[in-house]
Amino acid sequence: MIAAIPSAVLIGVDGHRVSVEVHVSNGLPGFTVVGLPDAAVRESRDRVRAALLSSGLPWPLRRVTVNLAPSGMRKGGAGLDLPIAIGVLVAAGELDPAAVEGTAFVGELGLDGSLRPVPGTVVLAESLRGLHLVVAVDSAREAGLVSEGDVRTSSALGELVERLSGRRAWDEAATESCGAAGNGSPQDSPHHPEVMTGSLGRPPHNELSDVRGQRLARRALEVAAAGGHHLLMVGPPGSGKSMLANCLPGLLPPLDRSTALEVTRIHSVTGLPLPPSGLIERPPFRAPHHGTSPVAMIGGGTSWMRPGEISLAHGGVLFLDEMGEFSAEVLDALRQPLEDGEVRVSRARGSTTFPARFILVAAMNPCPCGEGGAPGACRCTEAARERYARRLSAPLLDRFDIALPVARPQVDELMAPGPAERTDAVAARVSDARRLAAGRGVPFNAALSGPALDQLAPMSSAAVALIEKYIWSGSLSARGLHRVHRLARTLADLSGGGDMVEEEHVREALLLRCTRDLLLGVERR
Amino acid sequence: MYPTTDQTQEHAAALAGLPGMTPVRLSKLLDGFSPALAWKAVRAGTHPADPRRKFTIAARGADVDEVGASYDRAGVAILLPGSIGYPSMLIGDPGAPAVLFALGDPTVLEDRPRVAIVGTRSATHYGRQVASELAADLVAEGVVVVSGLARGIDGAAHAGALRADVVDGAPPVAVVGTGLDIVYPSSNTMLWEQVAARGAVFSESPMGTKPHPGVFPARNRIIAALSDVVVIVESHHGGGSQYTADAAARRSIPVCAVPGSVMSRASAGTNALLVDGCTPVRDATDVLVAISLARTGKEEFRADDANRQVSCLGVAGGGDPLARAGSPIKPHRAVRASNRTSPRMSEHQQAVFDAVDDTPTTFETILIRTDLSIATVAEACDNLVEQGVLSTGAGWWSRARS
Repeated sequence: MIAAIPSAVLIGVDGHRVSVEVHVSNGLPGFTVVGLPDAAVRESRDRVRAALLSSGLPWPLRRVTVNLAPSGMRKGGAGLDLPIAIGVLVAAGELDPAAVEGTAFVGELGLDGSLRPVPGTVVLAESLRGLHLVVAVDSAREAGLVSEGDVRTSSALGELVERLSGRRAWDEAATESCGAAGNGSPQDSPHHPEVMTGSLGRPPHNELSDVRGQRLARRALEVAAAGGHHLLMVGPPGSGKSMLANCLPGLLPPLDRSTALEVTRIHSVTGLPLPPSGLIERPPFRAPHHGTSPVAMIGGGTSWMRPGEISLAHGGVLFLDEMGEFSAEVLDALRQPLEDGEVRVSRARGSTTFPARFILVAAMNPCPCGEGGAPGACRCTEAARERYARRLSAPLLDRFDIALPVARPQVDELMAPGPAERTDAVAARVSDARRLAAGRGVPFNAALSGPALDQLAPMSSAAVALIEKYIWSGSLSARGLHRVHRLARTLADLSGGGDMVEEEHVREALLLRCTRDLLLGVERR
Repeated sequence: MYPTTDQTQEHAAALAGLPGMTPVRLSKLLDGFSPALAWKAVRAGTHPADPRRKFTIAARGADVDEVGASYDRAGVAILLPGSIGYPSMLIGDPGAPAVLFALGDPTVLEDRPRVAIVGTRSATHYGRQVASELAADLVAEGVVVVSGLARGIDGAAHAGALRADVVDGAPPVAVVGTGLDIVYPSSNTMLWEQVAARGAVFSESPMGTKPHPGVFPARNRIIAALSDVVVIVESHHGGGSQYTADAAARRSIPVCAVPGSVMSRASAGTNALLVDGCTPVRDATDVLVAISLARTGKEEFRADDANRQVSCLGVAGGGDPLARAGSPIKPHRAVRASNRTSPRMSEHQQAVFDAVDDTPTTFETILIRTDLSIATVAEACDNLVEQGVLSTGAGWWSRARS
């Protein structure tokens, strides 16, 4: 007898529907799995058999053949355990085919028959739209985010078979609550700072008012958040670069529904913990160590394509501390994703596109000894400084709209009067500015192209005069001009003024703009 | 000195370009021979200074006209002792190069005071700054700054010399070790071109000579020989600048050194020179004093009440162009009035100026001290830098050295 059970496997960050066909016939007892299974799927033979037996269900002492269709596609992961077990039961006549009609199964089995969650449930459920879905209890919320049919759960195989054959009722409460989570809109939900950002063990973002002094750096964070501008901080150790970067996610508005789903899919696929609601609504914050390999940063892998850090930071912030210590290969691999907002990873077995639109925040020391910046304080030789500055290639440096020196706070800054502005207040200005950008058809101003800028960011005559002065003095290039223009647009949006970019906005943009001087400590006169 | 025919220079260049030729061997070949005669003798294998006929085969394969044409195309002048453009101070020098190649105008050295500013290639920020300011101030006084177009101090000195936008500022001069068609280090290409355009670049190496360790000490002796005073800004213990200092000392040319931190290895060589009795140099005035162009002690306060300036009267020997009828030399060690005000400053600018220390100050500190908006402070800083009251770099602001 033959049974066909719908299920799904992961390829990259996408789910692909798979039909698990089970054939039970007379012949020498045996169990074979065909259809390009990888090691985890081949091993599922033993898990399925043990799970059936320990659940008190019969194992057919006949010839069992499992085919995973389409057979040409390589399949991995343990999520096929459950559909194979159900297929065996149906094919052996232990379960009524009508009981599993229109139902897909995803789950890993334990030897004791328990049902376990699998990574990537969100995208797997997405590919099984239109069907009822049976998953492990812990996966219910993820599946409920996207599933259109009923999401049913069970904690063990034996219990599941009883429910399917009608001897036991489905757990209603679980099904309902999943539905609610799926329909809830993130925009309506209140601001939840305690929601995990998806990074393992990392506390939620820092509170901006905890930063003493650093008015310019706080302003730069606000501008970066509002305009989606990439930010480079250069300063000696202990100047608070990491603390500042940690404040940035709190300033960003919550993710919109489609981005939230994208982010949740990526995190789900990677097996990272999801918030209780199942949907990641806060922008993620990723801070990979500088020893990170190119594949871990960009994504890839041999047996299955895994999204890299840049995709895990999608919709949020990628913070590269000690940027100068990252290998040149890793840094240069960032250039294309920074430009396109996605990364296409190609391997011999196929290629996948991962989304990767993030705000890049980088921090580095001004020179190897770390004391550079303050003229005269650095003990490095000129050659050493140049070597250090060269680690950031010019094309990569070009991606940063904002660069600012961060110095260790001095006494008068630490003792500065009055509490600083809180995250909420700044976040409100940021979301207002983002709304203005959305009116221009882009998520934020950093995405504005050169020609669009001229049209959408007209400059007052005083602003033009100021820019011209800088161009004539040779301290502003044509490329730098665009960046200053974009920054000035964001600054004008933040000040809530009209369409016109005024002189003061350009003035501030010129102060925040990124120059290589910052790394070389070159004197200007 | 020699019978000069049209061909003479080309012959000298062809001799210099023979494989295996060194300045010492070239001097021997040209000692008592005109270049054309020496060339003929080398080709014939009868030159007494080349008894082993070391260069004969190579010379027979070389085309003098082609060598001359290649120098013409590159715009490189071939200078022989006695010909126009050959620096007069090299004549009679024990180590004078028998042939010198030049880009630009080689006569700029004549009738002008000359100071060599040299130092280590791995210079510190401090050294670069001193070299640059020293060069700028000296050039503004009409002193030719001679250096080696190397990384570090040399490059900073040339950059400073080119920065001085004084109408009658002295032209820059460089002496390099490589051939004049090979720019080394390549990061100094811009400087190289500017020096050649506004002054002169000299080399004793024929075109095509690549950088190798031997050429640089030889280059240093020419730098020393061309100068009235040698100033060493930063030097490691036993660094190449010591060679320049030795070469200058052998020629009785005064050597000055810029004092540095005793903790800085880049100043170990210069500090050791100071211990040995070298004249310390703090600024351009010290250098001018050293070449007897200026004299300290005769400081007069001019009636500029806001900007009190110390003025040193230039006193110099008869034919010196710098004497210029006692025109006051611009002060370099000006007394900075600590609370100097200028009627041009607005209220905000004054507030910002007061917030900036003599030592570098961050933007953050200025913001805290003034309690003004970021845009206002940025504007005031911009304007003050434009007025030359503040200087800035890499996120730091400080009061400009006046």
